[in-house]
Amino acid sequence: MSADPRKIKKFAEISIIIMLVLGIVTLGLAPSTGNYRGFYLSIFLGGVIVAVSVIYLPIVHTRKVENIKEVAVPAIQSLWVSTSMGLGYVVTALAPYFQIVLPVAIALFIIGWIMLIYGSYALLRLSKEAKVPLAV
Amino acid sequence: MAQPSKEVRDVYGDYATLTVPTEELRSTLNVFMVYMGVLAVVAAIFAGSGLAQMYDPATTITVALIGNAMLAIFGGLIAYIGGSTRANTYLLLRYPLGRIGAMIGSLVVSALPLIIWFAVETWLFGITVNVIYPGHPLTSIAAASVWGGILMMLTAYYGFRAIALLSYITVPFWYALIVIGFFGAVDISGGFEALWKARPETIAPLGIGITYVFGLYASGCVITSDVARYGVKRWSGSIAWAAHVLIFMTVLLFTGAAMTLLTGSPNVIVAIAKIGLGVGALLLAILGQWTTNDNNLWSASLAWINIVGKLNKRQWVIIIGVIGTAIAAVWGGIWGMSLDPFIAFGVFLGYFIPPVGAVLIADYYIFSRYVVKRTYRFGPGTKYSIVNIPGIIAMVAGGLAGWAATTFGLKLPTGIGTLDAIIVAFILYLVLAIGLYKAGVKFEVGEWVERPTGF
Repeated sequence: MSADPRKIKKFAEISIIIMLVLGIVTLGLAPSTGNYRGFYLSIFLGGVIVAVSVIYLPIVHTRKVENIKEVAVPAIQSLWVSTSMGLGYVVTALAPYFQIVLPVAIALFIIGWIMLIYGSYALLRLSKEAKVPLAV
Repeated sequence: MAQPSKEVRDVYGDYATLTVPTEELRSTLNVFMVYMGVLAVVAAIFAGSGLAQMYDPATTITVALIGNAMLAIFGGLIAYIGGSTRANTYLLLRYPLGRIGAMIGSLVVSALPLIIWFAVETWLFGITVNVIYPGHPLTSIAAASVWGGILMMLTAYYGFRAIALLSYITVPFWYALIVIGFFGAVDISGGFEALWKARPETIAPLGIGITYVFGLYASGCVITSDVARYGVKRWSGSIAWAAHVLIFMTVLLFTGAAMTLLTGSPNVIVAIAKIGLGVGALLLAILGQWTTNDNNLWSASLAWINIVGKLNKRQWVIIIGVIGTAIAAVWGGIWGMSLDPFIAFGVFLGYFIPPVGAVLIADYYIFSRYVVKRTYRFGPGTKYSIVNIPGIIAMVAGGLAGWAATTFGLKLPTGIGTLDAIIVAFILYLVLAIGLYKAGVKFEVGEWVERPTGF
């Protein structure tokens, strides 16, 4: 039995919103990084997450549930970029070059992991329920 | 466009000897991401490092743009053939070279060079890991080459879907780190003012750099059909190829050149590690080389299936992967850290592989379309010649011309060895094929009937 298209669409929208919120949080942490390098890192990675989410959310929202693949494809594209940038935080937040103050670095590191894990889960679930290949 | 009939059996996997069915087609974005995954490799940045030893930053951009524009046109034309016919490179070559000729062409284009490419990339992977984390038994060049090669084999073993998925995961992150690494190098080395003032002792002629850039990826142009055949539109592969090579290859070359000019290190991974990116630099190398090298394995296995007609794709992936990994481990252990073999291989590709693409373009767009008025068809029962003599002659002559132009200074139209090789092969094929056809001389020798397996 296939999943309810309305639930899939709702899940897709919520997932993008979660990524958007986390991206905004990392942007908000940028001034607290304690160094211009950390500041620009957060602006760059967080900016990409927010930009992608803001662009794709209305696209997903306006698509009709009758053709659930039309909803899932842009949602997967958005989540993939966000997830990838989350991985970016995981590997860069604690790198010595950026000289981010430890509490903020740890916060970015944790947020990165949350994005990576939740993003992966959302991608796999959307792909399975909407029967859309992950690489779209 | 030919579609495989119901009696067709994909015994080799990934439609190695068949056309791609409609239900397997992918979006233009997907094709683009796969190409980007191929480009997302440290070797592309190392190549930029090579340019830094010849040019200042402004000239590097000029040279990269010209070379990449040529790559965009050349690869785009071949990608369109794949998108139109849904056939991979080795199937396509059955027309301009004949069935046995296609096997020779496959050896030249992919089967042999891609084993070497795989070995070189695996070796670079071993070097990168060793540079960043020295002193551990598992991070010696030989050991890292072995486990890196195994990682790459695993993803290639699971086929096109695995490659596409892997590309999708790593590409945005990889390019983000390249941007970060570039600005980091600028930051710690005196800013953009220092970058624009940096230059090598002598500036090389533009032609040398253009040949270098074109030769680096000319092999990739010839096998664009392997990915473009999955494109939902005929032009999906062409657009995706042109966009990725013109924009992103230029950016990568410039980034590599800039980091070398600023840090003075010909090894850009060392430069990135020095900046302090640590784990990020290691991941950059691992993910970049991984996505490119499993694609190398995948393409090489397609080529060997089309040559030998025995074993399936996965078995070839393992065979080629083991050979390449063994070469990388021994190479790394014996010869140490040198970029020379990589650069020499890039130059070598520039001579002998592009003429194969030139012959394909000449046959598909001109000879088949306007002279003999045939369309490329594939499927059980399709008849091909055993050898297309003009195609073989043009391929060899083009390669030799390019080699002679560069090695001995032979005066040819453009002075750019690789481009001269393409022009010579293109013109020679058309002159011979059209001339012999008009004269009523049989130049396509023998007959090969395609089997139900597509072989």
